[in-house]
Amino acid sequence: MSASWLGRRLILTLAMAWVVATIVFLALHMVPGDPAELLLSTSGAMPDPATVQELREKLGLDQPLMVQYGHFLAGLARGDLGTSLVDDYPVIQEIALRLPRTLELILAGTLIAVVVGVPAGVYAAVHRGGVFDRVASWITALLLAVPVFVVGTLLVLLLAQTLRLMPAGGFVPFAQDPGQHLKLLALPAVAIAKGLAAVLFRMTRAATLDALAHDYVRTARAKGLSPRRTLVVHVLRNALNPVVTVLGLQMGTLLGGTVLVEYVFNWPGLSTPLLRAVEGRDYPMVVGIILTISVLFLLINLLVELLHAAIDPRVQHG
Amino acid sequence: MTISRRSVLGAGLAGPLLASPFLIRPASAQRAAGIIRYGLSAFPPNLQPWVSTGASAGTVKMLINRSLVSYDGKGQLRGELAESWARDAEGAWVFKLRKGCVFHNGEPVTADDVKWSIEQIAGEKSTAYMRTQFQLIERVEIPDPQTVRLVTKEPLVTLPSWFANYNTFIIWRKSNPNEPIGAGPFRLVGQERGTSLELAAFDKFYKPGIPKAKGIKFVVYADENLRNAALISGDVDMIEYVPWQSMATVQADPRLKLDTQEGPFMDVLFNGTKPPFNDPRVRRAVAHAVKREDIVKVAFFGRGKPLEGVPVVEGTPWYDKELAHGWNYDPARAKALLAEAGHANGFQTTILATAQFGMHKDTAEIVQQYLAAIGIQAELQLPDWSTRVSRGTRGQYDMAIHGVSSDNNDPDGLTVVLDTSLSPTHGRSFKVDAPRTVAALAKGRAEFDQAKRVEIYKEMQRAALEEVPMVGLAWREQGYGMDKGIQGFANLPGALSTSSGNMLEETYFG
Repeated sequence: MSASWLGRRLILTLAMAWVVATIVFLALHMVPGDPAELLLSTSGAMPDPATVQELREKLGLDQPLMVQYGHFLAGLARGDLGTSLVDDYPVIQEIALRLPRTLELILAGTLIAVVVGVPAGVYAAVHRGGVFDRVASWITALLLAVPVFVVGTLLVLLLAQTLRLMPAGGFVPFAQDPGQHLKLLALPAVAIAKGLAAVLFRMTRAATLDALAHDYVRTARAKGLSPRRTLVVHVLRNALNPVVTVLGLQMGTLLGGTVLVEYVFNWPGLSTPLLRAVEGRDYPMVVGIILTISVLFLLINLLVELLHAAIDPRVQHG
Repeated sequence: MTISRRSVLGAGLAGPLLASPFLIRPASAQRAAGIIRYGLSAFPPNLQPWVSTGASAGTVKMLINRSLVSYDGKGQLRGELAESWARDAEGAWVFKLRKGCVFHNGEPVTADDVKWSIEQIAGEKSTAYMRTQFQLIERVEIPDPQTVRLVTKEPLVTLPSWFANYNTFIIWRKSNPNEPIGAGPFRLVGQERGTSLELAAFDKFYKPGIPKAKGIKFVVYADENLRNAALISGDVDMIEYVPWQSMATVQADPRLKLDTQEGPFMDVLFNGTKPPFNDPRVRRAVAHAVKREDIVKVAFFGRGKPLEGVPVVEGTPWYDKELAHGWNYDPARAKALLAEAGHANGFQTTILATAQFGMHKDTAEIVQQYLAAIGIQAELQLPDWSTRVSRGTRGQYDMAIHGVSSDNNDPDGLTVVLDTSLSPTHGRSFKVDAPRTVAALAKGRAEFDQAKRVEIYKEMQRAALEEVPMVGLAWREQGYGMDKGIQGFANLPGALSTSSGNMLEETYFG
């Protein structure tokens, strides 16, 4: 892997981010809906058109689209994503506040999924056809089939409403109350983890089975290596490569897939303001958040490629 | 001691489990401290005192700010920064200010602050909700430091109630525009953006013993089911907008109580600029075609009441039983009206609603079915709410379903719904001709004799039943759910339900 390859990939990533920002900006302005009118119409209020027009002018929405786009690009070049049309709050600050929470949720979910899915997949492959293998396969099918909002709602119903063991949802900053923070993180993390754990289980199981069938495993066993050492050194090293790729891609997908989980559990990550901003046509906020998610997605893909090369020296980039 | 990867991982996983016995629910601690935890349905888009940003924002704004008057638990006007008000001999409204009222920075509330606030709301570049009404105030005079005299361009009987709206607060005139300083019973002491707001009692509030709670913690639960779950699990002490499907559960729970009012209502709006709905007979046919009970049952789980007339609240002096059922379900009459209008075989049209809110979609589907029964084939159009608003204001529809509340319980509060001569908005029929209704509303607004007003508004209802500026469908319940220990709160009657947040100043744990 060379520095020039990395440089090219970074430039490509930036170019793609610009394309995404432009498409989102233009598409959003083409959809009907006026941010000024919507803000003033909250809860069924009926604003006077003159008042709406005043607000439009205040927000600069009366300028031609291309002028607005020009301002947006100029801001972007300075690293300024603009301010919310709703309360003039800087978009970049909103993202800085919310993104860590979404990433924390994704990382917690991924951790749970890896801790559960990978060992279970290896065990199921080693004991192929056994009771665990069959039961686990059945459970993963169920986990993949049931939508996340159903799982989320059931968890709330059972653990919060009926047993009253857990809070129904919400958020407390870690610094304020670490215990309560983790408690509130637990349910959404489990809800996010359930699909990923199932995917990782299946992927690990298939990859391990594939690796187990190779000649080098038989050779390793034949030269007297213990089954445990064979598994760890020879089988897993080869089996984990596709698992890491899948994990990376799935983590990228989770970035966009946290919307429902964050909503169901009231976790104030990046999805809630995105949803609200789309509903309220808060253009700078929508573009800023989507741009951030896209860049992260692209960076994760880049990272997966780098990790891929680290795990498997045969993977080379010219 | 060596630290292995395994021990680090083990400790990390065990941490939350070990910590769990110490994670006591904070409920009892907060209750003991006199802090009410309130489940809000939306984080306030902003807390600007005069710009309308919704009812949830209004609830918070009412507690940190104060105006000349407010509503008491029965929905009657009561003095706040003003201790009395009356019309003088020249017809101007005169407000006498209460002594001893101070803003949160300790500055006294003066007539200059009142004048300045009114002028900001009515200003040329203002984006205030009450701007249009306040521009009817010709000038604000200060005869003495405790008196404000409002000279209006025309007689306005309901002017005092303008100051009970949660977008008309008196703000310290030297405030930084981004940090308005109010005189409410609570101060905003903290907020977690998008998540929660914390209020603390203001110790120099002018009413002795008020507020009764030491503080309020607003926690936002946008999802109605989660908000309800938070109430049931004890995460919060009270919530607004109890979902209709959960009202029975809240009522059945021995630890909880439910306080409901029929305030907002669903209605049908028309585009009066083109056939067939420019003909009042066709609009009346629609009014007689729909069986309202089905809407109450399906869209509101029985938590509402059919509305077969102009939305005048039952029990008020303006209510008339016969007029209230002027658009009763009568398909035969609906068909006859269609035939009379030249549409004996019906016609094809569209209904604009939104899929974003279940009550709008469900109501639209039922209306669609009943219209089909009299020969009107309507295609449903269900875009997102933003598009629905935009198309409504621009008149890009034939019929539309809407849910709304009047401004207050005086029939003049129905002006926003019925006066189709006002500028178009998404919540009013588009350029429907209803001259007699509009004239009666204007007459009622300028009449100060109560008996005459009653007659005027009955005449207004008769006119509206014929001119059909909108069709009422169903009242819907607006419910607050709370712990049985919560005392002093009242859901305000009728259209004022969304102003009930004001009652939180009198709310406490019993």
